[in-house]
Amino acid sequence: MAQIGLKEVVKKFGDFVAVNGVSLDVHDGEFLILVGPSGCGKTTTLNMISGLESPTSGEIIIGNRVVNDIEPGERGLGMVFQDLALFPHMTVFENIAFGLRVKKTLEPDIDRQVRAAAEAMHILPLLGKRPAQCSGGESQRVALARTIVNDPSVFLMDEPLSSLDAKLRVDMRTELKALHERLNATFVYVTHDQAEAMTMADRIVVMNGGLVEQIGGPLDIYDKPASRFVAGFFGTPTMNFLQGEIVAANGALTFQCEHIEHFLAENTPDSLAGKQVILGVRSEHVVVNSGGQQGQVKLIEPLGDVSLVFFESGGQEQLVAKVAPELRFSSGDQLTFGFQAAKCHLFDFDSGTRLN
Amino acid sequence: MSTDAKQALQIANRRRWRRTVVRHSILIGWGLIIMFPIFWMIQTSFKDAHEWVTWPPHWVPQDPTLKNYEQIFTFDVQQSGVAREATEQPFNIWGAVADSLIICTTSALIALFMGAFLAYGISRFNVGGGKFRHSVLIIRMIPPIVIAIPLLMYYAIMVPLASETVLGFRLSLFDTQFGMSLLYITITLPFVIWMMLSFIDEVPYTLEHAARIMGAGRLYTLRRVVLPLVASGMVVTFLFVFILNWAEFLLSLTLTHPDVSTLPVLLNKFQSASEGRLYGPQAAIGTVITIPVVVLGVLIQKHLIKGFSFGTIRK
Ligand SMILES: Nc1ncnc2c1ncn2[C@@H]1O[C@H](COP(=O)(O)OP(=O)(O)O)[C@@H](O)[C@H]1O
Ligand SMILES: [Mg+2]
Repeated sequence: MAQIGLKEVVKKFGDFVAVNGVSLDVHDGEFLILVGPSGCGKTTTLNMISGLESPTSGEIIIGNRVVNDIEPGERGLGMVFQDLALFPHMTVFENIAFGLRVKKTLEPDIDRQVRAAAEAMHILPLLGKRPAQCSGGESQRVALARTIVNDPSVFLMDEPLSSLDAKLRVDMRTELKALHERLNATFVYVTHDQAEAMTMADRIVVMNGGLVEQIGGPLDIYDKPASRFVAGFFGTPTMNFLQGEIVAANGALTFQCEHIEHFLAENTPDSLAGKQVILGVRSEHVVVNSGGQQGQVKLIEPLGDVSLVFFESGGQEQLVAKVAPELRFSSGDQLTFGFQAAKCHLFDFDSGTRLN
Repeated sequence: MSTDAKQALQIANRRRWRRTVVRHSILIGWGLIIMFPIFWMIQTSFKDAHEWVTWPPHWVPQDPTLKNYEQIFTFDVQQSGVAREATEQPFNIWGAVADSLIICTTSALIALFMGAFLAYGISRFNVGGGKFRHSVLIIRMIPPIVIAIPLLMYYAIMVPLASETVLGFRLSLFDTQFGMSLLYITITLPFVIWMMLSFIDEVPYTLEHAARIMGAGRLYTLRRVVLPLVASGMVVTFLFVFILNWAEFLLSLTLTHPDVSTLPVLLNKFQSASEGRLYGPQAAIGTVITIPVVVLGVLIQKHLIKGFSFGTIRK
């Protein structure tokens, strides 16, 4: 009963369009992540689901009812905010008990439920403290406990991990995923961090400029980005992009730019011949020391399990390849390289939409 | 350490020490200038009439007396015989203490209550439009003396006339606690709004959003989340407004007499035809009415520091 639907939802602030016609369905029990660069309308979209903002047009559906005119408190949602929004003047116990007190729960029940939620989040010893006395990770857990205790069927989270340091953030990812599994609730989670989205989501909604660019599973999005934007947004290092033209020669299609010529996969549609395109290829799909192209190494970044080789082709095109760490290069070395034909992405030069 | 370095260190130390001395001397000098009138008021309050104005001045009372205090505190001045023969000064301060306390407390409380809600509306809903918050203080541009006489017209003539015509009985605001409270609420409300705005603006929106999502209504959120967070600010605002009213003289002088009298007005009444200003009792009143302000200040010092250092709420 906790599926959510957005139908052509638009939100304007004055003349500024923050969300420009977003439609999506969140399935019951799903971990859905809205991801996109800062200012793309993620928070606004989430706030319209929660009811903190009302849409300029379009419909929000939770369960089976249109909730456009229903108060946030009556939508059966829980929300964790970016700044956590813990009440600084209340103890951790009172913070967690807040929602129960609003519902006029009996005192013994409050005590029992608060303790249960605190225990689940491993923060029992903190109950008597103030939020200001808790560390970042602890505050995070308090905010989660405060939401869990109200037993919502939908959890909304707006960049809840952004205030944590890198290590803790990675740990919390695992924990959040476990929490989702345990609670069996629907999670709608907002982040600007593509790695966070990839690791936690059942499905990802990629937003840009108030629009949905792509909806799909993490690997679908990684393997088949629907646009140049999505391709560039996911994966580190950023995908290599080359601008050029598709040329038909001897019944095969090749991609050509000033210094690089690359035979495209056989399943590339013939209709693309003569088109101006952007060719995208991830660093792990750039093969080094084979293939017909010449390059010069500029920089090496050894990461231990792999090394990143940044090189130039024809003194102009900047590329990066992910290679086995046994391959030792040093800056200035010449190398030969090629692309795995099946792993190349073609995007329209003007609109950026996927072509193959 | 080389002798050069030692010498440099010594010079630096000496310089720092000299700077400290200069700074403290200036502060102490300034403090003396500020404190002197208060000292003079207090010591005058213990002097008898012949010492009030002397040359060379008596820096401390030569025969200290409690006569001034006896006079201002005595309930029935004439019978107990503490009134100076020559003055026949009939006043004590009890009536004015009651008037001042009632007027200042009720008006500050009501202004605080109204102002806090108004400020909340302005902060969260932009009541009055974007520029309203900046025009709230415009009332300060009108000197009180300008509105004193028109107000007298309303208080003493227009309102009684209107009430007699409409309601059938005379309702006068002139020389009443109600009239003075009403006036003080009106003129201090802008200050309350202005101060409370700065405190309420500090409370992050998301706290209210969090409460709202957990099902709390506006008033519940205000009571449990917003108001507790601005409590220090409310105490500071109350104190500020209370003192403003406690010391207000001009409007009270114009709009009261003879029934109601606030302390500053009463102080001014301590003069006689033969002796002129009765500096002794006046100084005693001055001392007495300063005490509650100081006591309040000390009691709420914690809040004062928190409240005046605006950025109090940890996010
Ligand atoms: N209350 C508001 N008034 C005006 N503009 C807003 C408001 N809230 C958000 N915006 C604008 O809408 C855009 C999207 O904001 P937001 O949804 O917060 O982005 P994100 O969460 O993806 O970073 C931003 O450009 C932001 O400046
Ligand atoms: Mg945001």
